[in-house]
Amino acid sequence: MTVIHENMEDTGAKMKARNVSVYYGDKKAIDEVSIDVSPDYVTAFIGPSGCGKSTFLRCFNRMNDTISVARVTGNIELEGENILDETMDVVQLRARVGMVFQKPNPFPKSIYENIAYGPKIHGLAEKKPDLDVIVEKSLTRAGLWDEVKDRLDDSGTALSGGQQQRLCIARAIAVDPEVILMDEPASALDPIATAKIEELIDELSGRYAIVIVTHSMQQAARVSQRTAFFHLGKMVEYGPTSDIFTNPIEERTKDYITGRYG
Amino acid sequence: MATIASSTDMGSAQEARPTRTPAFEKRLAKRYRSERTFKFLGQAAIVFSVSVLIFLLGNMLFNGIGGFQRAELAVPIDLPASGVTGDEVSLTAPSAAQTLEMQGLPDVVEFYAVEALGEQGAEQISRDAWRDVADALSADPTLIYRTQTFQLPASSDLAAGLDGEGSPEIQALAKQLAQEGKLGENWDWGFLSRSDATSPQQVGIWGALKGSILTMIVTLLLAFPIGVLAALYLEEYAPKNRWTDLIEVSINNLAAVPSIIFGLLGLAVFLAAFPSFRSAPLIGGMTLALMTMPVIVISGRNAIKAVPPSIRDGALAVGASPIQVVFHHVLPLALPGMLTGTIIGMARALGETAPLLMIGMRAFVATPPDSFTAPATVLPVQIFLWSDEIDRGFVERTSAAIIVLLLFLLLMNGLAIYLRNRFEKTW
Repeated sequence: MTVIHENMEDTGAKMKARNVSVYYGDKKAIDEVSIDVSPDYVTAFIGPSGCGKSTFLRCFNRMNDTISVARVTGNIELEGENILDETMDVVQLRARVGMVFQKPNPFPKSIYENIAYGPKIHGLAEKKPDLDVIVEKSLTRAGLWDEVKDRLDDSGTALSGGQQQRLCIARAIAVDPEVILMDEPASALDPIATAKIEELIDELSGRYAIVIVTHSMQQAARVSQRTAFFHLGKMVEYGPTSDIFTNPIEERTKDYITGRYG
Repeated sequence: MATIASSTDMGSAQEARPTRTPAFEKRLAKRYRSERTFKFLGQAAIVFSVSVLIFLLGNMLFNGIGGFQRAELAVPIDLPASGVTGDEVSLTAPSAAQTLEMQGLPDVVEFYAVEALGEQGAEQISRDAWRDVADALSADPTLIYRTQTFQLPASSDLAAGLDGEGSPEIQALAKQLAQEGKLGENWDWGFLSRSDATSPQQVGIWGALKGSILTMIVTLLLAFPIGVLAALYLEEYAPKNRWTDLIEVSINNLAAVPSIIFGLLGLAVFLAAFPSFRSAPLIGGMTLALMTMPVIVISGRNAIKAVPPSIRDGALAVGASPIQVVFHHVLPLALPGMLTGTIIGMARALGETAPLLMIGMRAFVATPPDSFTAPATVLPVQIFLWSDEIDRGFVERTSAAIIVLLLFLLLMNGLAIYLRNRFEKTW
């Protein structure tokens, strides 16, 4: 059973997951997980490889729909609306819940087009000047504007790995989502680029509800305020990040934190 | 570092390493030997295929160059004195040839031919030679005011005589005329603008080339959109079940069906539906489209599969609908691969003879097709027909037609490579 630390009451939760289970065919990959997500804090999912943390993250914007054998049960509410419901509009959901992937995946188009794509398909900008404003704002927020403002027509794939990942973050915030899901956003980057991403997460929290899946416990400790530890498809322990790292209650959490396995 | 080095030294002192034994060195030599053998075999295969290709192309060019030339007789005609009249308007009118014929141009040409070449020589000018004069007058009406030397096609007998073939009399005549400078092999640009004829001196490739172009247009317009849409649907939308498996197997089998079967299908289905369009590029194109489509579907599906899933995920995650993912991201990235498949299919269709024979495109067509529904023939069928002719003059013409076909093919491939490089993107 999940151990939940005290003082975790939550008033401004943006998304509430309740008893969410994910099945791949007959195999249960996530077992009855409940958690809240809010702009007030960054939530980190940690755990060893294959524990299901990425699978669970992909439930929040229904990216698991693309896997034909995956089946999700339970409830995930976005401002009171169950997003797992048949009637939920997935296109709209993904505009409200953005995602950044493990490997930077800019479109093979210009930097400008990468950012403008989302606002364009959702009709967020009427005219080119409006679009220009969105592009500049998004790139500025992602801390990339100064580096690319003179070469917006260059291909997004020509940037360095760290710049590509910030471009992907800028692409996600260009449609002004409410939640941003990050699936190990820094695992393919060098330490300097990683530091920049972490700084960025810090700046973006408050405006967006951020959930980050990470392999690195140091990273979770640096960027998040709340941490959930997953193991074998179950959420083992959930609490304030400082408590999880200094004062874990569960034996398995303690073993993982201290590097006994993982 | 130091500790590691010393421990290695200790190891080698104690016992012989397995990688330092004579047996190991022997095995190593054997491995290198087999690598050298493999490399040699590969090079031999390349050399063999390249030399066969060079022989084929060289042979074709050597024979074909003669096909672009023809034996012509020089006949000076004093047009102002001939009694043939006309001006810029009447000579450029579509009915100019008829008017000139009524004014006795054929007799005029014959008269001056006898004058220039003698009775014997004039007999060797083809009966329709006056048409060449009429065409020249239409192209340049001012000729009517001067004396002009026309190069008129010799008969195929005389042409053979010039090549050292045929009866001794004709060879002697050809030799004599050639020595007088009245008979010679001239570069025959008309070969590229005329159509099929009964005499090798009068044939041209334009009719068949235009037929091929029209047929290819129909094939491309049908096969490319249908093939691409089928590939997109099967890869992106179709559920994976027994029915789609069956469709996939059927398409793969369709790509391997002998082409003549498609000809029979075209005969039974398309010609039954449109009986008046026999030998038309429309029907030919439809038949070849059936044959080309499976190739496009298969290559298209492979190209779509090669688009990295991360691009799809990225687009979905910003809220693109499935159709936007397909048309904004997957299709542009898959297009180069699809074009490659299309060009392979089109090249095969361009060279296809058998199915077109079944739907009547082997008819003798002396005028270039002016529409998709006019009777036509295509390059490979024309080559097939000419290769069957008895007249020796057709041998060179056949090679020349093959060169034209190869050049057309090269042009298509070049275009495809250009398009592919234009659309190719890296990620």
